[in-house]
Amino acid sequence: MGVTKVVEIPVVTAEIPIGPQHPALHEPVLLKVYSDGEEVVRAEVNTGYNHRGIEKLCEKNTYYRDIFIVARVCGICNAVHSNCYVRALEYLLDIKPNNRARYLRVLAMEFERIHSHMLINAVMAEIVGFDTLFMQIMLDRERVMKAKEILTGNRVMADYMIVGGVRRDIDEIKRDRIRDLLLKLKPRVEYYKKVFMEDETIIKRLVDVGVIKPAEATSRSLVGPVARGSGIKIDSRVSDKYDAYDEIPFNVITRREGDSWARMMVRWDETLEAINMCLYALEKLPADGNPVPDERRLPRVIPQGESYARVEAQRGELTYYVLSDGKSTNPYRVKIRTPSFNNVINSAFMYIGLSLADVPVALTSLDPCVSCMERVTIIDLEKNTKYKLTLKELAGSRK
Amino acid sequence: MKRPKLLELALRNLVRKPATIQYPREKTPVEEDSRGVQYADLTKCTGCTLCALECPADAIKMTPIPQGYGVPAKNPRKIYPLIDYSKCVFCYRCVKICPVNAYTVTNKYDIAGPTRANSEEYSLSTLKKASMQ
Repeated sequence: MGVTKVVEIPVVTAEIPIGPQHPALHEPVLLKVYSDGEEVVRAEVNTGYNHRGIEKLCEKNTYYRDIFIVARVCGICNAVHSNCYVRALEYLLDIKPNNRARYLRVLAMEFERIHSHMLINAVMAEIVGFDTLFMQIMLDRERVMKAKEILTGNRVMADYMIVGGVRRDIDEIKRDRIRDLLLKLKPRVEYYKKVFMEDETIIKRLVDVGVIKPAEATSRSLVGPVARGSGIKIDSRVSDKYDAYDEIPFNVITRREGDSWARMMVRWDETLEAINMCLYALEKLPADGNPVPDERRLPRVIPQGESYARVEAQRGELTYYVLSDGKSTNPYRVKIRTPSFNNVINSAFMYIGLSLADVPVALTSLDPCVSCMERVTIIDLEKNTKYKLTLKELAGSRK
Repeated sequence: MKRPKLLELALRNLVRKPATIQYPREKTPVEEDSRGVQYADLTKCTGCTLCALECPADAIKMTPIPQGYGVPAKNPRKIYPLIDYSKCVFCYRCVKICPVNAYTVTNKYDIAGPTRANSEEYSLSTLKKASMQ
């Protein structure tokens, strides 16, 4: 006997917007969550609240003004953004910075990794309702901010990279002060790692929330600590060995659990690893000449060609594509692909099956950096139509 | 029930001085050489406009030096860079690019106030000082 009648039972879903008023970090992103009772059945990621047109702005400004403009793509990862862009220019110009400059660049970038990872762990503590821990971590984060101020001249906006080197040098006194700050910071980070491992509140809220399997992480091209938390050993510092990463020893931290807790633990371990790298770099800082090039003597026009540089930012692999036409003082095209772009937009699958209260936790564990995301609307002038490229197509995920 | 892990820390913090800095009354400690307000020393400036061209934030506008100031002969166009600090991002590109090293750097950071801060007073005061000597 065949089927004669199909009865469809409608699933009653409620549409619940999480955001756009800072669902995780204080940045605007909208998670439209459809829930059946408490359980999430579908999630959509809507961005576009923070579009500033930086890539277009880069085409309108000179190569050297762009170094400071790309640093403002994202406040918290400004040194890696400018480092990646500057290295793309160096590949075109065939300039190599000296060893001291390469070490100082690594120092600036690792300081940034330390304070970024501490920030997102603090925010995670706040999201799970543990505000005391948030304040404690933020207080200790001030130490690395101070170290960054000593090195670069500003707590957050480093503006440290320039073609052919860095923009200021450190002397012995500064070196000792930075080392003292890092040595004071290290036991605190170890302590916070222990709190994250042992505290009941955190374990109850984070373990088994937002699990990403290794296969899912690779098929959706997730990068950075999110992929490493799922056991994928991906790190451009190891694969590219740019700057001084070929000389400074470090381990790539991976965890196999794949849940929110594993991602946060990867960040704590990377913070410790970064502190060790900074101490090593300060210890072995080479003295092969002046790392600060004279900015007045740098070439104004970059030879014709295209270059592609990538860097391991705190949130994952960050890439810059620079196209030069060889005539103008402005770049013809600058294309930025940020790690949050992959991680946040391609991760809507992760929320399905979670309870509603766990959604902010899962989102925070991705370390979203919204100001990096959202790029394109295509306007066809011939047909006079507008077409919005879907974020999935842009991020290159499988349909 | 287990003892909370942060209890010891919380007790220690009860007797410690607060970490919060009461900002307007109490200044935040900054480094000697941290990047703060910068302005052109008009006794050195030649009015070449390079800093205004290079500024990534378009914060520098070349402005005529007002009447009554003794302008050095090396500044024939009698203009000086006026920095709008509300636009400035303090990247110090102008400081590094200046061909005559005319910029004076400070670590002053508290420029927020009821009026728009710019470098007019700082820059013109360098000319005043020079004329007094």
